[in-house]
Amino acid sequence: MSFATRTWGRLSLQARLLAIFVPLAVVAAVVTVVVVLLAGPPFLDFLGANLPLVRFAVAVLAILLLTVPTAFVLIYMELKIIARMNLRIGPNRVGPWGAAQSVIHGFKVLAKEDFAPTGADGVVFTLAPVVTYMASVMTLLVIPFAPGLFGQDLNIGVLFFFAMGGLTVVGLLMGGWSSFNKYSLLGGLRSAAQMVSYEIPLTLSVVGVIMLAGSMSLVRIVAEQSGSALDWFVVKQPLAALIFFIAATAEANRTPFDMTEADSEIVAGFATEYSGMRFGFFFFAEYVNVFIVSALLVTLFFGGWTAPFGWPWAWNLNWFDPLRPGALGWAVVLANVLVWGTIVLLVPVRLFGGRTWGLGESALLGFLILGVLATAVIAGAAFVAFDWFAGLAWFMAKTYFFVFVFVWMRATLPRVRVDQLMGFAWKWLLPAALVNLFVTAAAVVLTNPGGIR
Amino acid sequence: MSLIPGLGIARGMAFTLRRFFAPKATIQYPETAPDIAVRFRGRLQLLYDELGNLKCETCFQCAAACPVECIDMGGFDTKGRFHVHWGAPETYAERREESALRRSGRPVPDAAFEHFEPIDERPLDRILAAHDYDPKAMLPMLEAVQREYGYIPVASLKRISQVSGAPYALIFGTATYYDHLRLTKPRRTVAVCRCTDCLLAGSQRLAERIGGTLGTGIGRAAGGEVALEQLPAHVPGAQSPLVTLDGKPQAGLTIEGAAAWAAGLAGGPAA
Repeated sequence: MSFATRTWGRLSLQARLLAIFVPLAVVAAVVTVVVVLLAGPPFLDFLGANLPLVRFAVAVLAILLLTVPTAFVLIYMELKIIARMNLRIGPNRVGPWGAAQSVIHGFKVLAKEDFAPTGADGVVFTLAPVVTYMASVMTLLVIPFAPGLFGQDLNIGVLFFFAMGGLTVVGLLMGGWSSFNKYSLLGGLRSAAQMVSYEIPLTLSVVGVIMLAGSMSLVRIVAEQSGSALDWFVVKQPLAALIFFIAATAEANRTPFDMTEADSEIVAGFATEYSGMRFGFFFFAEYVNVFIVSALLVTLFFGGWTAPFGWPWAWNLNWFDPLRPGALGWAVVLANVLVWGTIVLLVPVRLFGGRTWGLGESALLGFLILGVLATAVIAGAAFVAFDWFAGLAWFMAKTYFFVFVFVWMRATLPRVRVDQLMGFAWKWLLPAALVNLFVTAAAVVLTNPGGIR
Repeated sequence: MSLIPGLGIARGMAFTLRRFFAPKATIQYPETAPDIAVRFRGRLQLLYDELGNLKCETCFQCAAACPVECIDMGGFDTKGRFHVHWGAPETYAERREESALRRSGRPVPDAAFEHFEPIDERPLDRILAAHDYDPKAMLPMLEAVQREYGYIPVASLKRISQVSGAPYALIFGTATYYDHLRLTKPRRTVAVCRCTDCLLAGSQRLAERIGGTLGTGIGRAAGGEVALEQLPAHVPGAQSPLVTLDGKPQAGLTIEGAAAWAAGLAGGPAA
């Protein structure tokens, strides 16, 4: 028996793991450094030379990664808000205030059997949720979240949005058709009828905004609304905003227009035969749609990333460069803030904590409080210092306000009948959108006697 | 309907928003138990409606469901037809009497309770044997009992329950469910002949008139103390339409006079 095998035999489990993974980690770190040093600059050059491609890849990845947490947040919001409006508490067992409830739902859906009925058209059946989900996700590519923070500034951004949004219908029809179930097919046709009907007033209501902005680029439309809340298109186009809001509710299949999946009345409409994560994708797409529709409403009518009032002051933090050699001093300052902040904050915890806290506990609490305070300070500083952060904050605040309104409506309004649904679209929304279009066109012609841009 | 469109929606939205901030009704059960008095036992209580009538229909469902069989009851059903009992015979005395008195061993005066009449059980036992003591044949059994006794005595229900093993509440439920089963002995029986000759002479309309006055009909046990039946066969020599009262043919009864005749029957003395 050699020395090595004898020593190995004497080691505990932890020691064996360490003996394996510490050398591996060292080797991996060395290899990483070497690779970055050798291949880094040429790789960066390559990326720089293909910037549009890189931008596209990063944007698509970011958006795909963004949609899942967004859907989780929206589902949680819906559970919690509707519960509160029903005088209930809502989910409060999983995670703090039940915040992990929707994530657990997601895992539950993942763990379920992925069932396809006998006789289903396999390829179409599998593709339908993908098409529906991707149609929703693709629309996010043109949404301007903040100055410089958007996937692509297409000059036909609005058109792209509605084209991609229209693909959702294809996904629903595919799901209904391939399920080999007459109820699914009927449900799919019903959703198709609803969504196609409501796309017309939806699109027509936006035309007025396009005429006023003189562009179909969403970034340009947002830029046209900069200034204060009085410059938002909702002031110039209130009727269009209302039509857009109502039609978007139907487009996102939300109450009171959620005939496609009236969960208290029919099984699941087009998704009757779907289970597991395939159903989960339909479900996710629905909530991503709510977010997207709110985001587009904000972009078109509520000024996108612009603040509702002029921001009177601005800080310039460009002098702070953490990568400068002199930044060592800042590291020392930061470390001091961490230590002293923790010590200062643990004193009131010890004094007024309500029960006898140990030193370690109160230090931890003090550190947590410091963390919260520091996050608030940093976020505040970023808000005043960086345009994109302030823009993102305003955009998200407005978007989530409208998400709240959608959930609020769901908690309040009863579902309409299917004939009322169609009648409302064709008899009221469409004429109103046309009237709005003509009035806007006349106003544009009258106020630009010399010619139109 | 409001004149301003959308006002109802706005009011609804305001309502839900107020609810959003209102205190919540949820009780977190395992952590927060409801405040229940120590002596609380979830006692049964007889409820009265606003007119002062007992709401209990003596349907026996509570008694049938009671796991420890602690419920016994007696009373008249909602139609006031007869006296029913649930529970062991020794508990028949009404519970509203002071229980202390009963526990003392002295006889308890019970104004409401009339003990059911004992019956000759030999025909009943023959019927039971013919149906193999099978509770699944309950309806044919009860029909046979009614044919035999003219009505379904409470004693027969008790006996059927005892020998077939079916709960009394179920047998009672079956017996009261069907229109043609009668649980009281009819004071008088009117029978109308429906042979071809009598039908041509208007016996159907006659039966309807009489039934309308008595609040019953052929094949229905509902109504008062007068039973209306179909005569099995025409009495030879009797004129059409033929109506019998307790087996005696009634001559000279016209369709026009039938209602008045029946009204006189309902209040008249027993034959």
